[in-house]
Amino acid sequence: MIWFIVKRLSMLIPILFGISLLTFLLIRLAPGDPAEAYLRLSHIPPTNQAIQEMNVKLGLDKPLIVQYVDWLGKVVRLDFGNSYVSKQPVWDELMLYFPATLQLTITAVILTVCISVPIGIFSALYKDSMFDHLSRILSFVGASMPTFWLGFLFMYFFSIKLDLLPVVGRGSLAHLVLPSLTLAFAYISTYTRLLRTSMLENLHQPFVFYARVRGLQERVIIGRHVLKMALLPVVTAFGMTIGNMLTGAFIVESIFAWPGLGRFFVSALSHRDYPVVQSCILLMGGIFVVCNLLVDIGYGLLDPRIRWKGER
Amino acid sequence: MNLQRLHSFALRLIPLFLLAALFAGCSSNVSQNSNSHSKTLTFSWSEDIGNLNPHTYLPNQFFAQAMVYESLVAYGEGGKIEPWLAEKWEISPDGKEYLFHLRKDIKFSDGSTFNAAVVKKNFDAVLGNAKEHEWLELINQIKSTEVVDEFRFRMILKNSYYPALQELTLIRPLRFLGEAGFPDNGKTFEGIKQPIGTGPWVLSEYKRGESATFTRNDLYWGTKPKLNKVIVKVIPDGEARVLAFENKEIDLIFGNGLISQDSYKFLKDTGNYEAHLSEPTSTRIVQLNSNRGATKDLKVRMAIQHAFNKQAVIDRVFYGLEEKSDTLFSTNFPYSDVHVKPYEYNVERAKQLLAEAGWKEVPGKEFREKDGKPLELQLLFISTNNIQKAVAEVIQGDLRKVGINVKLTGQEEEAHWKTAFQGEFELLFNESWGAPYDPHSYVSAMSKAAEQGNTDYLIQLGLPMKKEMDQKIGRVLLSTDENVRRALYADILTTLHEQAVYLPISYQTNMAVYHKNVSGVNFMPQPYEVPFTTINVK
Repeated sequence: MIWFIVKRLSMLIPILFGISLLTFLLIRLAPGDPAEAYLRLSHIPPTNQAIQEMNVKLGLDKPLIVQYVDWLGKVVRLDFGNSYVSKQPVWDELMLYFPATLQLTITAVILTVCISVPIGIFSALYKDSMFDHLSRILSFVGASMPTFWLGFLFMYFFSIKLDLLPVVGRGSLAHLVLPSLTLAFAYISTYTRLLRTSMLENLHQPFVFYARVRGLQERVIIGRHVLKMALLPVVTAFGMTIGNMLTGAFIVESIFAWPGLGRFFVSALSHRDYPVVQSCILLMGGIFVVCNLLVDIGYGLLDPRIRWKGER
Repeated sequence: MNLQRLHSFALRLIPLFLLAALFAGCSSNVSQNSNSHSKTLTFSWSEDIGNLNPHTYLPNQFFAQAMVYESLVAYGEGGKIEPWLAEKWEISPDGKEYLFHLRKDIKFSDGSTFNAAVVKKNFDAVLGNAKEHEWLELINQIKSTEVVDEFRFRMILKNSYYPALQELTLIRPLRFLGEAGFPDNGKTFEGIKQPIGTGPWVLSEYKRGESATFTRNDLYWGTKPKLNKVIVKVIPDGEARVLAFENKEIDLIFGNGLISQDSYKFLKDTGNYEAHLSEPTSTRIVQLNSNRGATKDLKVRMAIQHAFNKQAVIDRVFYGLEEKSDTLFSTNFPYSDVHVKPYEYNVERAKQLLAEAGWKEVPGKEFREKDGKPLELQLLFISTNNIQKAVAEVIQGDLRKVGINVKLTGQEEEAHWKTAFQGEFELLFNESWGAPYDPHSYVSAMSKAAEQGNTDYLIQLGLPMKKEMDQKIGRVLLSTDENVRRALYADILTTLHEQAVYLPISYQTNMAVYHKNVSGVNFMPQPYEVPFTTINVK
């Protein structure tokens, strides 16, 4: 198992290298340039001279390869450079916004698990019951409703109409409820359906039949055996979900004024703040790789067959 | 299947479910309504206030800089220059030397004295980074500065540059940081130690990306604010801002573009809130490129002006919230009260002009042609800008009626400006800069050759009198004679109007929406300032 983890971790390096090269090139292929964006956003007329000055100041006058090597050389030493806009070290910026996103994601993950797992199990066990139908409706609604609209509906009902929760901002636990619920909602729908299908498949496996023959208690069969098997596809999807939540919470962060990484990233993107964009993507790439690694480890824990295969 | 057992298993899961629900509900005690603290106003802005450096631009926000820092002279109603940190000033007869008499009762928020030495130190810091301020002509014109005595400061210019005082009123870069705020090397553009100003507010708490709290500066020399505190929350989304306002999480919405016109109308129509619009702050325009395609022809440009039903846009897109504009600058701006004949909405006149320009109707075809080529124009807009998009569609429809095919090109903002600066358009949305930049800074910029950075310059390149006009702009800025200046401005603005390179649409305004317990919300002469000093809450 340890060898497996080490092997996977060592793969992180070429992957991150690939990501860094790709982002570096892609962002530079995008139209618009940071010097001009900076000047315009500062209400400074972007004259030729001003743009040239700014390019020199930002180091954008050097050849692309030199820029890349410079940047990479610093990144290896964990120096991500300074943001063009705020002039602050990018690392400090990332560490300022990342905890907020992490908090939001963790809460959303907890909500997703706590809500979708019971509903998924119930609707599998009571297939075609009233409960199953209701959960199906909920799933379809949740999966098809755009996040921003859902967010506004939540704000409208819970804050304006019922006056229970604050609309925007971060601070108390109350501030966390609506954004995390909005973020989790679509995933809850997905996982409910996923788990239901997976449970139903496994409920008809021979091992369930033999377990019953062995006289095992039904809750042991469901809880320990069927659920464990049924969770496999869910865990696979979960790796991606956590990555998605951590990196793609932009809409939720934006409407709920949540000071997270997604908002920071998108504003950097529109300012063509290259150091920030590159570092964010690198971080996000790293997160995805780590999440997938965790999924693989989780797999091994859930299903010994996979573990054995990995060790052979 | 043993249903009973299953049932009990299912029942065991219920607490888990409830736990989740509880988690969601446990914290429903809302700590909101900042009004419960006495004399606190909660405001919101779409971005973080920035690092409150008086001498730099992004990520600083104008309104926040203006809360903490003040200028030597102030921009009053109608562009009148008023004493501020300088109680009076003398200008030498040749217009090159300015002697400022500073007020003697002014303290920075850290208790240090505001005097000529600190003024010079600030000027030096800004001039030390002159390249970044190259756009501001005053910076290029300053030859030297000197401390005459403790409370007298002299600024010497290379030429007599009349807008010098106007440009001293700007929120940045010529405002004053206290001695203790300077970094050790004095280079403020690399960062400051602390935001120490002479203004009515002091930054007391700051959570980057979330909120900033300003407390009243008790050492303030002028009329002290009535509020104790102003909290500025960062809310990027306009709709969320409206909901937060309705939920009393913010007390005041103030500015341009912070909420949509629909939202303004909605809030106003509820009758529960105060909702007001300012005087015109700047002009929405469409630039007609005299240097490309069919719009090279004056008659085509004039035809477009006549074919566009401005009033329909005002009524249907802006709900009558913006006033129709017929000139590049609103007549309430300095030197802008120029009498020109507006291009009225007249489809027949437009058709006639197009025919005169050689663009003929072709039987069986929707669009006019000349030498076998159809009359096509490219209109650029920013794809995320709903107002531009809506107006673009009206323009497309209106011009189709006279036989012009307008192709709409919506792009993401950066890509949009890239295309615009390359001059690849016939029609382009833009806006004037507003007070205190209009008209002099705007006019000055349009005369500067900058292929990459200035669409005003680009679109005028096809004008036969462009060179001559640029010389006039150069003269108007250096003229010391008020009458000459007035005549030159009238000449320049009339030429621009007659050459039809600008299609003015409407005057933008600031919007103010606030709860009924808030009072004293006045509009400031500089549109980027928020009147926190006069605001009170009950």
